[in-house]
Amino acid sequence: MNERHAKTLTMMLALPALLLPAVCLLYILFKGIPALDWAMLFGSAQGASFGSVTALWPQITGSLLLMLGACVLAAPVAFGGALFYALAASHRQQKVLLGMMHLLVGIPPIVYGLCGLIVLVHLLHWGISLLTGMVILAVIILPMLLLNSVNAINRIAVGRTEAAHALGLSNGEIIRRVWLPAAWPALLTGLLLGMARALSETAPVLFTATVFSGVAWPDSVFSPVTSLQTHIFYLAQEGANAQAVDIAWASAVVLVLLVTVLSFSASALRKIRVH
Amino acid sequence: MLNLWMRASAWICLAVVILLLGFLVQQSWPYWQQYGFSTLFSGDWYPYEKLFGLTAAIIGSFWAALIALSIAIPTGLAAAVMSTEILSGSWRSLSRTGMELLAGIPSVVYGLLGLWVLLPLLQSSLGLLTGHNLLAAGLLLSVMVLPTIMVMAQDALSEISSEQRDAAASLGMGWSERLWRVLLPQAWPGIRSGILLALGRALGETMAVMLVVGSMDRIPEPFYNLLAPAQTLTSRIGREIGESAFGSMHFAALMACGLLLATVTITISLLAHLRADNTSVART
Repeated sequence: MNERHAKTLTMMLALPALLLPAVCLLYILFKGIPALDWAMLFGSAQGASFGSVTALWPQITGSLLLMLGACVLAAPVAFGGALFYALAASHRQQKVLLGMMHLLVGIPPIVYGLCGLIVLVHLLHWGISLLTGMVILAVIILPMLLLNSVNAINRIAVGRTEAAHALGLSNGEIIRRVWLPAAWPALLTGLLLGMARALSETAPVLFTATVFSGVAWPDSVFSPVTSLQTHIFYLAQEGANAQAVDIAWASAVVLVLLVTVLSFSASALRKIRVH
Repeated sequence: MLNLWMRASAWICLAVVILLLGFLVQQSWPYWQQYGFSTLFSGDWYPYEKLFGLTAAIIGSFWAALIALSIAIPTGLAAAVMSTEILSGSWRSLSRTGMELLAGIPSVVYGLLGLWVLLPLLQSSLGLLTGHNLLAAGLLLSVMVLPTIMVMAQDALSEISSEQRDAAASLGMGWSERLWRVLLPQAWPGIRSGILLALGRALGETMAVMLVVGSMDRIPEPFYNLLAPAQTLTSRIGREIGESAFGSMHFAALMACGLLLATVTITISLLAHLRADNTSVART
């Protein structure tokens, strides 16, 4: 096989992969944008019949609440765990911690949903609720946040930390004066990616945190919410109702835009170098 | 204070792992006790007649993942080779952005695309009664795992030092020879991790598969018939967990599906991370 043939073959094999992102995105926009307008996003959620409620803001707030709750719960544990890894853990503890995180990364989201259903919904009697969804999503993003923080701390030059130690700084001061200024873009990148992940997970909240309709703003953390992800799932199956499918496409556009904004700000942040 | 926070976090991580696995085992225990491991080889799943055989779903999961990987591996590798070895800088970062975009699309949106674009296409082109089948699930999964394979392969290829490339070139190796003899073998650990992660993702993916697979508990007949509605482990859990009562045998059987799935994917993930570099893992 000569060189030119090999290159042509590679390009032909690669072409679908390189074109797919654009095709998928354009198709989603093409289907969703016509159905999307101001009234649809922020209109009244009252008075419409089941399955054809046209306002999306309850779903958007539900998704955002789940996402924010998950981050607020997961971030302190993840950062604390990473600091434990960097400051206090023995070599063996470090290996165990990383091993556990890799184990958690491997578990499919729906299994987290199952465990949340047993422990939170049934055993703790939280019911199908916002808090249940937040905790489940927090556990799902915990390993990626923790691994990311560990990497962020590891990338700080050893000399700096040693110099800070030599100057007599305490651990707390080293974190605040040396590590945070150097590592904040990386930490924030991880957090943004975690938010994007929490926003796009559907299966684990489907039967633990969300209902199809009827909730505009949850009364407390113990009441269920509606979310964009599950809204798309329910409406996609309404084959007989063309309007429902249109709304599903519109919701998909909103969801994809939210996730894309988060992940693109993450990759923009990644390029920042702090000196 | 700092010390307390650090140690509490580490203990929480440990507790999460133990609780997760512990409750999966505990809740599925009645199932294993009554039916034993022989149910892995029984195909009948009729919850109302207390028949809980797992084979149909296991075969479904296996086929869907196999189709996904057999499409995504060649395409993803070729795309990675093309973007690192053929394309110039700005095109390379464009293809990278495209992959990040593809990876960012939530699985339920892929399900929507599959249900309303892929299924009608399959139905009309293959003349089927319904497009719901394992082939559709596999095709959809191949798009979903493509970014994992491509990004990991791209990282592995671009980490090879330019000295290696120069040395290969100065030996008079042609482009394809260099690729097969130097670049791919060097990048193999990274590529292998990418493939394993993609396999884990394909096995564990729920929403997209659930929407297109048809959710029929039948063993494909004959076993390579991919054009009939079928079931995977994840789609079974997703479809039936809402209607099974907490504490019933049906619930325990679904937990057993979850435990089986988690055991396989955890093994795959630990294998993938065994020699993989942490940085690339955190990003996927």
